[in-house]
Amino acid sequence: MTDHADHAAESPAAGTVAPPRGLAPGTLAARHPVALGTLLALGAVNVAPLVIDTYSVNVLVRSFLYAAVALTVDLLWGYTGILTFGQSAFFGIGAYALGLAFTHIGLTPAVAVLALAGAVVVAAAVAALTGWLAFGYGVSPIYVSVVTLVLPIVATQLVFSGGTFTGSSSGLSGFDTFELDLEDWFRLAGCGLVLATAAAWLFVRSDAGRVLVAIRENEQRCTYLGLRTARIKIALMIACGIVAAIAGYGYAAYTDVVAPELTGFVFGTELVIWVALGGRGTLLGPVVGTILIDLTSAYLSGSLPFIWQLLLGVAFVLVIVALPRGLLPVLAAGGRRFAGAAAGTRAAVLPNLVPLVPTPTAAPADAGASATPALRLRGVTRRYGSLQVLHDISFTAHAGELLSIVGPNGAGKSSLMRCIADGHERTGGTVDIAGHPIGRRNPEACVAFGVGRKFQAASVFDTLTVAECLRLARMRHEPPSLWRRAKTLRLPVSALQVAQATGLLEHSGEEARHLSHGLKQALELAMVLALEPTVLLLDEPTAGLTRPERQTIGTILSALTRDSGMCVLLVEHDLDFVREISSRVVVLHQGKLALDGTVAEVVGSDLVRTIYSGETHALGDAHG
Amino acid sequence: MPSVTLMAEVIPALECRGLSSGYGEAVVIRHLDLVLRQGETLALLGKNGMGKSTLLKTVMGYLPALAGTVRLEGRTISGLPPQRIARQAVSYTPQDQALFPDLNVGDNLRLVVDDERALRTAVAHVGGYFPFIPDRLTQKAGTLSGGEQKMLLLARALISAPRVMLVDEITEGLQPSVVTRLVEVLRVEQRRLGFSLLIVEQNVRFALAVADRYAVLKQGEIADLGASADAGAETRIIDHLRL
Repeated sequence: MTDHADHAAESPAAGTVAPPRGLAPGTLAARHPVALGTLLALGAVNVAPLVIDTYSVNVLVRSFLYAAVALTVDLLWGYTGILTFGQSAFFGIGAYALGLAFTHIGLTPAVAVLALAGAVVVAAAVAALTGWLAFGYGVSPIYVSVVTLVLPIVATQLVFSGGTFTGSSSGLSGFDTFELDLEDWFRLAGCGLVLATAAAWLFVRSDAGRVLVAIRENEQRCTYLGLRTARIKIALMIACGIVAAIAGYGYAAYTDVVAPELTGFVFGTELVIWVALGGRGTLLGPVVGTILIDLTSAYLSGSLPFIWQLLLGVAFVLVIVALPRGLLPVLAAGGRRFAGAAAGTRAAVLPNLVPLVPTPTAAPADAGASATPALRLRGVTRRYGSLQVLHDISFTAHAGELLSIVGPNGAGKSSLMRCIADGHERTGGTVDIAGHPIGRRNPEACVAFGVGRKFQAASVFDTLTVAECLRLARMRHEPPSLWRRAKTLRLPVSALQVAQATGLLEHSGEEARHLSHGLKQALELAMVLALEPTVLLLDEPTAGLTRPERQTIGTILSALTRDSGMCVLLVEHDLDFVREISSRVVVLHQGKLALDGTVAEVVGSDLVRTIYSGETHALGDAHG
Repeated sequence: MPSVTLMAEVIPALECRGLSSGYGEAVVIRHLDLVLRQGETLALLGKNGMGKSTLLKTVMGYLPALAGTVRLEGRTISGLPPQRIARQAVSYTPQDQALFPDLNVGDNLRLVVDDERALRTAVAHVGGYFPFIPDRLTQKAGTLSGGEQKMLLLARALISAPRVMLVDEITEGLQPSVVTRLVEVLRVEQRRLGFSLLIVEQNVRFALAVADRYAVLKQGEIADLGASADAGAETRIIDHLRL
């Protein structure tokens, strides 16, 4: 047990300090901290039952199973931001699968395997259904908490109404179950927990694991990078549901008791509390937290039967108030300070740089050669309630064109961009991307057709580093590994140029929230270019950048349209910038397409002069 | 600047002494000394990442000062939480969306006035500058265009009758005619309300047109400080931005 706790306190530090291969002498601990930690923990759970008293061993088996469920809560809530109260329902599904099968059919190896398979299938189906209900388009994140809160209540009601079949409120007990020594139960549950934790640890630190954090940080940006966030979240819910069901199956087999409380929302809420106390988003925190709380409560509930719940409640309030991030991050910070004092400041200065590799962009052959316009809008309208912001907009744009959209503030420029990149946005009309009507499809489907959209206000992933943000943008082309991180980052030349020209490269190891406003804009632009879109939507890409930086970006955009046959739509107020790089200009005025022509025609027109001259009445007219 | 008392000349509106600030271990502002005089406009210029926005956030109490002090009209405000600084008539217009997107335009303004009569007067007043505001009082602020949100943000700051105004890149995303217009708006309002104004800008021409003085920040230190009216100020600043 003590070994386990030590490992828990030290591992996060080892994980973040681990130097890249080849930079430091490769001790096993530095090179494979996860492998070493896992081996130590496996050794500990195998030796522990020989030293610990029987009562503790007895309780710890249960604690290990609870901790495995807490681990899934941490993955869902701590990493992905899905606050779930429903993991108890999956635990209950596993427990009842075994209880029902062994009670009504009897214990044979075939029944045991079938019951486990049934538990997995039912848990996966329920998780898929829950996810499908909770992660629809435009559904508020609080909705998933409501759905997962209802789930265990429904499960408990089903058990209650099952009569003698489910044992109703008294549950099922006394069925024949596996004959195993207590020590073996301990080793089985302990090894299972260690391996599940190690797998989760590898996963959250892999490139794919970064997607979870990205979804928590900025789901909208994820969808506009072409990531199918709803599917990813449903897949995660299914995986977590299965793990919880297996833990529940183990619990029923071990205790020989199945009760409705196992599926209940009180247990579901306790799991959330344990995760919060241990430190959400740390994996080891919730695991160790759950084990310690469950073990302590087993001892204290005997000696202090009534006051124990009160003590736990007070401890919870104290931790939430004093240590909002939970216990583990505080212990880890202390550990790091201690280690830092011993090893100097090596950890702080180690740059987290990733070598960037230029990758040739896909040949634009099909986009350039065919006669299909890259973008066609017909009769697009957009209303917000009674306010109509776009009236009957129709135009086409071809590969190799850089089309600037100008107009006064509030003319509908950004609304138009939204209507092209998201099938749900427009009220009427059609939008075709390279001949594909977008219909009512989600942004990720529009990205798959070739749309890349940069938002007006920089939209990046705050707690991810610059390199990680860029890697997320590449996932459409290079599926991420589920268990490790790529050593290099391949970027198309255009994205690399933007990163170089704006000085973003020097910050590749920095978290995006620490970037200045202009660098965030540059990062988002580089991310969108990394998608290699055929239709690039840029909403004021150079806002917040200095004039020299703007010029560089202008040059890059010109080259992109000319050489790689991209179709660029640019919303911009800087007429000089527009004049330099556009091949065509569209003027939006009061939601209508007022002018469409060459740069010379449009820039010289009376309308544009009125809008941009600085005459004050133009402002009044514009908002008429 | 008429009727400036002797006191006001001696005590600056805002004063940073030896101010250092940053994020975590990254120090962005280093031992910065900066004075915003009573009733003046000072423009902070500089490349991206040089600490302009960080300085405003530190003054406003959103970031803790690692060293040094910030004084508001002689009283130390460094160490105070943002709401207590705001209560001393300091208004802060950050770069990112600072409106309440689900409240309508009227309610966003209502937050900074005492009663309905004051609101009507204020709307009529800012409506003179930004005509869309009185027309769209019931529209949700989140559905305004990016430029309109910026204008509403500035209108709200003006309505709150600040003593010191901190404004971060207000011209971003505004059509050129509105930018030109803003120079006039800020001048007129400053004469009317007498506030001192610290602006962070990327648009050098706008900054010099609005400001009495400018300061160029480089690596968290002041690289150049001068009067906007100086001949050659613009060229010098552009050189700084390039290097």
